[in-house]
Amino acid sequence: MVTAYVMVKAHTGDADRLKTEIGAIDGVSEVHIVAGDVDLIAKVSVDSPSAVKDVAATHIQSIDGVESTQTYIAMD
Amino acid sequence: MLYVIVGAGRVGLRTARVLRESGHDVTLIERDESAVERARNADFEVISGDGALEETLKSADLDAADALGALTGDLNDNFVACMIGKQHGCRTVMRIDEDYREEIYRRYASEVDEVIYPERLGAIAAKNALLGGNIRAVADIAQHLQLVEFTITDSSPMNGYSLSELELPANTRLLAHGKAEAALTTPDPDETLEPGDHLVVLADFDALADVRSIVVGAAGQQKALGGA
Repeated sequence: MVTAYVMVKAHTGDADRLKTEIGAIDGVSEVHIVAGDVDLIAKVSVDSPSAVKDVAATHIQSIDGVESTQTYIAMD
Repeated sequence: MLYVIVGAGRVGLRTARVLRESGHDVTLIERDESAVERARNADFEVISGDGALEETLKSADLDAADALGALTGDLNDNFVACMIGKQHGCRTVMRIDEDYREEIYRRYASEVDEVIYPERLGAIAAKNALLGGNIRAVADIAQHLQLVEFTITDSSPMNGYSLSELELPANTRLLAHGKAEAALTTPDPDETLEPGDHLVVLADFDALADVRSIVVGAAGQQKALGGA
């Protein structure tokens, strides 16, 4: 099992919709709207590192209103 | 009133100045030494330290302060300062760095009472300066509501009429009137409008064009309407 945190920077104020759409992606176990220089953080729990990339790069980044993502894979 | 301002940069220091000019007490918190120096040279009380740390904020006597303005360029620092300020009973104002975030913070950040985006206010001022003329957008009150100041000219349709004769469209209120050089006051229906007079009107965006043609006539500059 691989756990990763994906920091999401938006370019829309419609954070509710982003939260719903990110939360609906397979492999995303948690998502929060946060204060600071990113707008949402998603926790991803999947089988392999390549699946992390799939969730972040393919699915989250294709959502309308997502500017960029940064992914951190947990090592412990 | 006592105000605590975190960040003595271009936004924080300027805000401190206008508060002081209005007779309020201001304590600034700044971590950059050269900015601390600059603010002290301008006779401000400055606490040198990180405004996102509770120890620093506590030394600013937050319990006595009426409000805290988190006006640094760093979003994380601003938010943390607001959280701590709120715990000490301050009203909190947070500066944000991108306009889309205004909506997010208004909605989710219960620690933040007011959000400001300085660039938006700067853009309104720049637009007015570029357009010149006799219409000045004062502020966007809400998405569809704008505060506009009109100046009566020789060719204004209302020139020579009294305020009681002014018939504004629906969704519009006349808030203030001022003679050319005098300060604005609440409107007196018996006053006569003369060139140079100012009218401040609160209007729905949809009604702005009608207000303009009634108050300043076709010569009014259309582009002056609308938000920043």
